[in-house]
Amino acid sequence: MREFVVMTFATVGLFAAAAWYAPVDAQQGDAKPNPHNLPATSLGDRLDDRLDDRLDDDTLGSRGRTGHPSIAASPGFAHASVANNPAVRDAKPVGQAVCMACHTLESKSFAHTTHALGMNVALAASPTTPTCEACHGPGAAHAKNPTARGLIIAFTHDGGTPVETQTASCLACHAGGARDQWLGSVHRRNQLSCSDCHNPMAQSSAEGLQAKRSINETCATCHQDIRQQFNRRSHMPLPEGQMACVDCHNPHGSINAVLLKTDTVNETCYQCHAEKRGPFLFEHAPVRESCLSCHTPHGSNQHALLVAPIPMLCQQCHSHVRHPNDMPNEQQLASGLAPDERVMGRGCLTCHAQIHGSNHPAGPRLHK
Amino acid sequence: MRMLQRSQASRLTLCMVLLLIAPFARAQDSGLGIDLQFGNALDPSGLEPSSGIGTLGCDPDGASWLTSVRKRTPTGFLYACPPDHPEFLLGGEWQYRGAFSVGYLGLSGDQDNMLFSRYSNWDDGLYLGGSFRYEKPSDGSYFDVRASRINDDDQYLRALYGRAGKYRIQAFVRSQSNVTSSNARSIWEGIGSNNLTLNGALTPASSTSAQVAAVSASQPEQSLVVVRDKQGLGINYFISPRWVAFGNISHESRAGARPFGGPFFFNYPFADNGGAYEIPRPIDDSTVNLNGGARWTGSAWRMEFAYSGSFFRHANGTFDYQVPFAVRPVVPGLVSPLLTSGQFAYEPENDYHHLRVNLTRKIALNGEFSLAASGGELSQNDQLAPPMTCTGQFGIPVIPGNLYDCANWNTSAALSRARADLAIKTSMLDARVVLQPGRDVTWRASAKYDRQDYQGDYDAFNPLTGQWGYPAENGAQGSVVPFESGIWDPGPGASNITRIRNLPLDRELLQFTLSADVRLNTSNSLGTTYSFDRTKRGNREVATTNDHSLKLTWHNRTFDWLTFRANYTYLRRTGSEYEFNPYEYTFSTSLPGFVIPPNGVPAHTVSAMRKYDVGGRTQHKADLMATFVLPSDMTFYASVRGDWNDYSAVIGRRGYDALGGSLQWEWQPTTATVASVWYGFDRSSLDLANVNDAALTPDPVLGGATYPEANRWWSRDRQRNHYAGLTLNQTVGRIKLDANWNWSSSRGRTSYSFNSPGALTTPALAALLTGQFPDMLYRAHAVSLGVAIPVNRSFSVRVFDRYERGRVSDWHYLGFENGQVLDHRVDTDGGPTDYSANLIGLAFEVKL
Repeated sequence: MREFVVMTFATVGLFAAAAWYAPVDAQQGDAKPNPHNLPATSLGDRLDDRLDDRLDDDTLGSRGRTGHPSIAASPGFAHASVANNPAVRDAKPVGQAVCMACHTLESKSFAHTTHALGMNVALAASPTTPTCEACHGPGAAHAKNPTARGLIIAFTHDGGTPVETQTASCLACHAGGARDQWLGSVHRRNQLSCSDCHNPMAQSSAEGLQAKRSINETCATCHQDIRQQFNRRSHMPLPEGQMACVDCHNPHGSINAVLLKTDTVNETCYQCHAEKRGPFLFEHAPVRESCLSCHTPHGSNQHALLVAPIPMLCQQCHSHVRHPNDMPNEQQLASGLAPDERVMGRGCLTCHAQIHGSNHPAGPRLHK
Repeated sequence: MRMLQRSQASRLTLCMVLLLIAPFARAQDSGLGIDLQFGNALDPSGLEPSSGIGTLGCDPDGASWLTSVRKRTPTGFLYACPPDHPEFLLGGEWQYRGAFSVGYLGLSGDQDNMLFSRYSNWDDGLYLGGSFRYEKPSDGSYFDVRASRINDDDQYLRALYGRAGKYRIQAFVRSQSNVTSSNARSIWEGIGSNNLTLNGALTPASSTSAQVAAVSASQPEQSLVVVRDKQGLGINYFISPRWVAFGNISHESRAGARPFGGPFFFNYPFADNGGAYEIPRPIDDSTVNLNGGARWTGSAWRMEFAYSGSFFRHANGTFDYQVPFAVRPVVPGLVSPLLTSGQFAYEPENDYHHLRVNLTRKIALNGEFSLAASGGELSQNDQLAPPMTCTGQFGIPVIPGNLYDCANWNTSAALSRARADLAIKTSMLDARVVLQPGRDVTWRASAKYDRQDYQGDYDAFNPLTGQWGYPAENGAQGSVVPFESGIWDPGPGASNITRIRNLPLDRELLQFTLSADVRLNTSNSLGTTYSFDRTKRGNREVATTNDHSLKLTWHNRTFDWLTFRANYTYLRRTGSEYEFNPYEYTFSTSLPGFVIPPNGVPAHTVSAMRKYDVGGRTQHKADLMATFVLPSDMTFYASVRGDWNDYSAVIGRRGYDALGGSLQWEWQPTTATVASVWYGFDRSSLDLANVNDAALTPDPVLGGATYPEANRWWSRDRQRNHYAGLTLNQTVGRIKLDANWNWSSSRGRTSYSFNSPGALTTPALAALLTGQFPDMLYRAHAVSLGVAIPVNRSFSVRVFDRYERGRVSDWHYLGFENGQVLDHRVDTDGGPTDYSANLIGLAFEVKL
């Protein structure tokens, strides 16, 4: 514990030093346009004023710089600003009317999303609020030359926009929370964009504006090897629609192994299997080490997602004298000449039923 | 057959409680919590609860007027087509769309089969579904509800109410089933309760094997089902553009039964003796999960403060079961007192608290520094059950020190303490830095400290008698074999070897990671990561393990038509010296007064054993993925993955290798056609070695007196799996057709070899052995076809059929077809069986 406290204070001290003395561009939000479009750290920043400066009066149209006073935009959309497209730094925004003149059908699909709902309210409250350009960046250059790649932030394979520009646009509003560790995540390191998994332009999925019809289908586009494991005899109920990959994993990045949402494998499992949490009066050491010592998380041809058939599963660790270390064979099955409860049916678990741990005073051998 | 009636009243009460605490609740997301998916086997995506999969086709207008080329993700996969959602209708300030359906599901064939009904518990009956969305464009408010009901055990209703960008409230109720057996033959009555009594035709501890077999055979096959009923409520609230507050609470109750064990000592070495029971244990518990916190996001700083709590409660602390067979001493002429019942402790009620703080700040070089700290506690203080439930005496008479008075063991006064009072305290600190000095270079470094501290010791000491240990196997072991009661005392039992205390399992992890990514040009990037984990464990075979790993990544987009990703990981685990018996202090051999038996204390295990969860390991892992962008709106994807592990063990797990590949083809030529085909293959091989003991001597060395070379044996479990699937959605005029086919074929083969018949329990059978178990097989086909016919704009009819066939062979259950009672072994579950089942559905859908 002492080490923990020392490390905590040392790290916090280092953190604080970095925070206050390092020359950070992003901290200078009051002095220049914020490249990440987020509200500046200093309280009281006039974001609306900055946005107004970036829009022409022509762009604002007949409503000018004043919206409907009776409408209050939600905080999640009211402070949106035009996304930063490094490829066209001098381009100006054109407003959604110009975008929709050509992209009518896109706006039809987009209208079914909560993004559209919130953006339209924000626009009505303040005509300076960008909508299409909050994600796609300023549209003037693209409007002049619509076939040139990269002049608008496109989230597609042929759009010509670098992945990091795409993700920066999304993170302008969605930084933090589940995305807090995106910068170091395995998906970012493999050059994935937000739009590899999400399609904000259509309500194609029930949850999370996925690129496919569900979270699980989206993950399976690349992780076919995992998808096929769910076809095995015992599996988690993903094919039955009862759970999603993101019940266990945070695809946006986490500080834990294999993008787990909790600090350890076991804590992830305890989310649904709270009865296994214990602590038990008598523990089974590899169970406390990791549920994955014995179970594979996605699917198995064995009973109960086990990684190997019982009793061989147990005999990988147990060679104690007497009964655990005999070589099992087919003659010990119920159909054989020497039926043996250690091999047939539940095998070892017939007697060591409390294999995850026993809370019975007479259960050191996990019998009770 | 449903095993337990669920209380409607308690559910209503809970809903009221949840409503009262709504302001403190939170909707989960991919960063925290579960219940992120609501669907069922008819509609796994959850997108089309009103009518089932396939009805909601593509918008016939497509995604864009500007191009006919389908949109693709940056990697190159085709986006799902924009669905043909119904247009919003106007109703005052609100606009709305929605549909609901009423249908009937008819099943035939082996509809109750466990493999068919596992997570649906299919049944004939009414099917209901619906989805509705209301929006108020003037302020961004919305109300969204989805619901589907297949039966009482498989249903959900999920409602969202919110204002875009301001708040979001989620409420849900759901039931999820888990069919754990569909061919259970129980000799017990009271299934689902905490007191299993024998069938009236049987007498506790006085029945013969033939009588039990007759009762078992006469029982109708029944299903054992565990049903989860869950209710949840959550809110996400934007306090300001920077601050978001969140909270969530859910309650889940589980009820039902599942196959479980029941030990009354070995039967295999003692004909007509002992008892190995598989009972239908009750499941009756509940869990409340809650979490809440606040998040702050600014241009330079981000932070999050969160609390998670979970509280597991059981209905009963123990469950008992009567047993039909008597056990008798191996000493001729002696008779043990009858043991009529056994007992299990239910998993303990436990509390979990977890606090977490995340801080992230942008720093120089376009970087970020983040710090995460968390602390938590898992604790339980369950009332402990007495060691025995018997009355009278147990053990073996005549032989001094082997007969025990139940009165000294069937009371809580026989315990060193009445409650468990155990806890695990967790603490974690993670710091990481990411620097991006240029557009093409990213550096990362991280350090993590994670610790689990066990709190609480338990001594298996009986203050009533001054003895240590516990009655083993419900008193059965000590009723069969003298001096094996599991109880140590300084008198006649001074050489008895038994467990006398619990085993705290402290663990501490220190992890350091360094990584760098370099973009060589616009289409190539390379990455490398070095990671070092040092884990210290208390009371394990290896006190300290050191994991060194190196990971290389390559991403290539040289060609517009190809995205290629490759990853390779090398891991090597070393550590401190392997101690094959770190558990000495938990045994009576460590007690003062323990008398070493004449032949010495038998070796705990063979010293050559290397337990794979802490032992040394070398791993090579590779992962290749290629996405091909093909003309005519097609995509082809291919991947190969391999994982090779060498555990450097003579005894124990020696190796695990896996290799697999996948192919997928997608095609969206028009908005009327969406098709995909996929195939996958994987294989794995798991090698282990062990050695049968020849004598009870203190020698732990492989090749010595206890574990002679002649008794060594080896086993290999090989798995081969093929998978394939096909989907087709086709619109013909106004009619929508959908077809799905899913196939898998698995073969597992467990083979073995041995040095001599000494490796066997029954050496005389050596000549009959084939070198392998019968293959373990699982082949499953699932075909579904559906057609939706719109009658008019508002009304449509959908007819669908789903046929599944499965072939399964699991050698654990071979011979069960001849009866599930063999001597003193009683199995309740008949094991997985072949099935062929058909589901036909007719649904009428009404659109608003």
